[in-house]
Amino acid sequence: MSKRLPQRASEWLKRDKPISFYFEGQKYQAYEGDTISSALWAAGETVLGRSFKYHRPRGVLSLANHDVNVMLADGTDTNMRGDVLPVQDGMQLTVVNTDGGVKNDKKRFIDAISSILPVGFYYKAFHTPRSLFPFWENIIRKSAGLGVVNFNYPRDLKRKLHTHCDLLIIGAGPTGLTAALMAAPHGLNIIVVDENAQAGGSLSYDMGGSDESAKRLAELLAELAKYPNVTLRTGGYAAGYYTDHLIPIVETTGITKVRAKAVIVASGAFEQPPVFRNNDLPGVMLATAAQRLLARYATKPCESAVVFAANKQGYRAAMDLLDAGVTVKAIVDLRAEGEPCSLVDAIKSRGVAIYNGACVYEVLPAANKFGVKGAVICSYDEASAKPLLHDRFTIACDGIIMSAGWAPAAALLYQAGTAMRYEKSAEQFVPAKLPAGMFAAGKVNGIFDLAQRLQDGARAASEALAYLGKQVPTVTVDRDYIASPSHPYPMVEHPKGKNFVDFDEDISIKDFVHAAQEGFDNIELMKRFTTVGMGPSQGKHSNMNAIRILARIRQLPVERIGTTTARPFFHPTPIGHLAGRGLHPHRLTTLHGWHEAHGAEFTDVGVWQRPAWYRRAGLEKQQAIYEEALAVRKAAGMIDVGTLGKLEVRGPDAAEFLERFYTGSFKTQKIGRTRYALLLDEAGVMVDDGIACRIAEDYFYITASTTNAAAVYREMQRWLQIWQLDVGLVNVTGAYGGINLAGPAARGILSKLTLRPLDDASLPFGAVCDTEIAGVPARLIRVGFVSDLAFEMHVPAGSTQHVWNALLENGVAEGLRPFGTDTQRLLRLEMGNHLIGQDTDGLTQPFEAGSDGAIQFAKPFFIGQRSLQIIARKPLNKRLVPFTLSEGYQGETINECNLVIGTDGNIKGRVTSIAFSPTVGRFIGFAYVDPANVAEGAAFNIRTDSGSLVMARVAATPFVQLQSEA
Amino acid sequence: MTFIQTSPVSHAQHHAHPVMGSLHGMEIALEFGTPASQQAQAAVAGVAEFSAFTRFAVKGAGAAEWLGAQGMELPAAANSWLMQDSTLVLRLGNSEYLLEDQFVAGHASRLAQGSAPVGAKLYPVARSDAALVLSGQHALSILAEICALDVAAELANNQRLLMTQVANISVTLLSQTLNGKTLYRLWCDGTYGPYLWHELTAMAQEFGGGPVGLSFYFK
Repeated sequence: MSKRLPQRASEWLKRDKPISFYFEGQKYQAYEGDTISSALWAAGETVLGRSFKYHRPRGVLSLANHDVNVMLADGTDTNMRGDVLPVQDGMQLTVVNTDGGVKNDKKRFIDAISSILPVGFYYKAFHTPRSLFPFWENIIRKSAGLGVVNFNYPRDLKRKLHTHCDLLIIGAGPTGLTAALMAAPHGLNIIVVDENAQAGGSLSYDMGGSDESAKRLAELLAELAKYPNVTLRTGGYAAGYYTDHLIPIVETTGITKVRAKAVIVASGAFEQPPVFRNNDLPGVMLATAAQRLLARYATKPCESAVVFAANKQGYRAAMDLLDAGVTVKAIVDLRAEGEPCSLVDAIKSRGVAIYNGACVYEVLPAANKFGVKGAVICSYDEASAKPLLHDRFTIACDGIIMSAGWAPAAALLYQAGTAMRYEKSAEQFVPAKLPAGMFAAGKVNGIFDLAQRLQDGARAASEALAYLGKQVPTVTVDRDYIASPSHPYPMVEHPKGKNFVDFDEDISIKDFVHAAQEGFDNIELMKRFTTVGMGPSQGKHSNMNAIRILARIRQLPVERIGTTTARPFFHPTPIGHLAGRGLHPHRLTTLHGWHEAHGAEFTDVGVWQRPAWYRRAGLEKQQAIYEEALAVRKAAGMIDVGTLGKLEVRGPDAAEFLERFYTGSFKTQKIGRTRYALLLDEAGVMVDDGIACRIAEDYFYITASTTNAAAVYREMQRWLQIWQLDVGLVNVTGAYGGINLAGPAARGILSKLTLRPLDDASLPFGAVCDTEIAGVPARLIRVGFVSDLAFEMHVPAGSTQHVWNALLENGVAEGLRPFGTDTQRLLRLEMGNHLIGQDTDGLTQPFEAGSDGAIQFAKPFFIGQRSLQIIARKPLNKRLVPFTLSEGYQGETINECNLVIGTDGNIKGRVTSIAFSPTVGRFIGFAYVDPANVAEGAAFNIRTDSGSLVMARVAATPFVQLQSEA
Repeated sequence: MTFIQTSPVSHAQHHAHPVMGSLHGMEIALEFGTPASQQAQAAVAGVAEFSAFTRFAVKGAGAAEWLGAQGMELPAAANSWLMQDSTLVLRLGNSEYLLEDQFVAGHASRLAQGSAPVGAKLYPVARSDAALVLSGQHALSILAEICALDVAAELANNQRLLMTQVANISVTLLSQTLNGKTLYRLWCDGTYGPYLWHELTAMAQEFGGGPVGLSFYFK
């Protein structure tokens, strides 16, 4: 039967735009402006979803984005919330978390056995016997979770934008709109945001039997429209609070990060359900949900209702029900003294019975629990919170409208660091001390009377304006509670339970009692044991009741229990929104295009993309790498090393700076020479290494590893600030390209392009000079990382391609080939050079890596010196050594990180590098071993992935014969 | 030996098949389409590359004095800029200066071709910037997605420049009027140039814009 009402002035529906959609295979009619839930409810459907755990039928609860049992899928998207998602023409909707459809869900049997499935049962069951755990795990995993992940979900870009304003007002209800109106004339850039599709908050649905709300809303919006400096953003929620008033607003189209100078939180409060048996059945709903259905969607929540109230809101809802033609059978008021407001007489005059000091003891379910057929009413003792069954009676009805109190929507206030206090007269947590620039007003501030809320909005605006430097008169608000808007303990016990506190997770009163009995009687522990507040609604309708229950169990005041932590995001947000565009900065050298055109396979090295190796027709990756390596050993190879860090240290104190920064000695370094530069942190851990080239007395040119260059430069800047030396630092990493030319033919090739003599006497190992190569000004360095005959050329970035091409043209005939980083790693291993980051980790100190020779202890100071002095007094635990496997080894593959096992069976170290060297003809590598076992030829065992032991022997380096010895 | 330098962004532009040309010894994209399509793209959301302009940079406490002695006018405040003749003079922080000639050779070329700067607390800075331009009605919308600052407000003072993060990389950013239109100029390390070009053009294309050649701005 249709519950749709004739057109109402307050409705959000577009009656001239009818649409149709499918729900669980059946076609329904709706209007544009309907939500999925409102359309279905108007069509007479009551079972809109199933509960998570017991698979109980569920309908409308809040109609405020917290009806998490009405989760839907449309074929592409899943877990869409029916209570707020606008229905669209042609939608094909199914309910998630059912087996066989929402009405014939096969898992509904779980409800019948719920008594053997209390909270925490899965912590205790299934662990023994262990052999059965996989069986149970399989069942539990299939039962858990909501919806099905669509791995073919289309990439739908959701932008993440930044915007800025003077004043951000969260909530476009009467309080927020009043605050905006108060601030608007001061010319500020103001943003008002509200999660609802339209502005107005409670003014758009809470009529209370009069047209005052609607009139007030129209006035506020008309007045606000006069101010172009006010932007009203509806359909977006403020998802979190971050330092300096950065608040992300989530909308369908994406996220806008708002940086505000001041923030007014007028976010209202979540209505809290009273707890009684079967309070979850379709047809039992919050008073504000009923009012939303009536006012926004012109839909009757039921035909005949019992209102279960403990505050004024229930009476206002009753008036709205009566005005819409719903029969109100009775108002059952939990409070012995009843409601003091004037609505009582008006309601009585319309023939509605009011029972004070009474409760709904239980709701009688209709067939299949698809609805309500009546309510059992009895007296209630507030002091003991016990139903008094002596006078119980039944009222036939098809709806229970409930209103017992509120919880402040204070998540952002908590996240901002607001100190909250418990206001006893309102039975609510309210802000006690707000951070600078944050203001709270309205229901979230514990103020519920409409006139007072408007005044509180003006008060918050005046304080925000003053904070922003405007001259405004002070506005004050008196907190005046005729009756508390929230009941201190709206719980009705029942021996058969099913009096739900948390609708997300099907948690009832007895579950809290059991948790406390088991010792989980702290709110954070209870949350984790019972999972209260851990469902999709994040406790918006359950946390406050959970706190009240725990307070009563422990006989403590509510404020002593406290609240759980409110973390951003405040509301579940799609991953796609969080991902945004997915910006992943990466750096390319100017040779990247050449590499790509010549078959490079790229690898990420830090933020750089570098060629790992070059594809060759007919060769697999490993063979291609071997060929590149053999070219370097037999002829020549070159690699793009433009990614290396390149740092200039200039000034009279340049040598002194390096003396302190690195472990080596630089004051005595000759101009035109290079020295190894090892950087430690203050704990003595190896951080980076490179070479320091002395170009002039007051000018050093430093290289750093590709991945650490930025960090090394930052450290240099930091230490320079501390030391205050006369030094200038310049990071020229991107300004210069780099090419490393290595191998026996390197000298001959390079000599064709430069007038600079390259023989060992003119340019010995470790020399550096400025010259020209192929007509390009270049810095030329004799290096030895991958070969003892190698030249590193640093040239202006834009000229690198020219030099690279010139080298190739002059070297191809001599066997010159490019090589990548995979080959470079093999070549340096053959040379016996360890690699920081590969052969060391975040704890390795130089003594372990065998870098003792790079330490100049005699210096007055270097970073990490003091730590090394302490470390030096202690015995070594491990030592990095080069090793080989036996010639012709063809056993199980040994991998990096395989463990070195001592004769006593204990772990002594690990393999850090291993590769087959085509030049050496066997596997070579580095490993950490027992420091007592480092002599050349000493044997040690490596445990493979399968557990077998392979013998290796400590070797001498370099593994390959040097060119100088050839 | 003469040779043409490679633009730091050229790798990211090849797929769009621009008409290339040489300016100040660097190969640069001159056109990405017809004059009409270039004008349309520039008006909506255009991205262009000005990397070929000659640059000269020094830093250090002695930089201002040395530049002054070379006849340069310098911005009075940190993070601001001025135009001297046809040379853009950027003051980056307190004591770093970047000079960039605008299309025609100017002071940056003069100083770059002179002898290396020498002086106390004076350090030459080698640069290989990717210099990009963002134009059109949606330029600020694009910047709103990739820059956390309120660019319009921060650059309301026309002589101000920002050293900030755009698309998660460090850039220098200012607004400049060219041919009567407001442009946003961005300089980043050249090795990030292809990345920034790709992101900016992708966003521009979402608004109906796209890459614009240097010839559109300088005939």
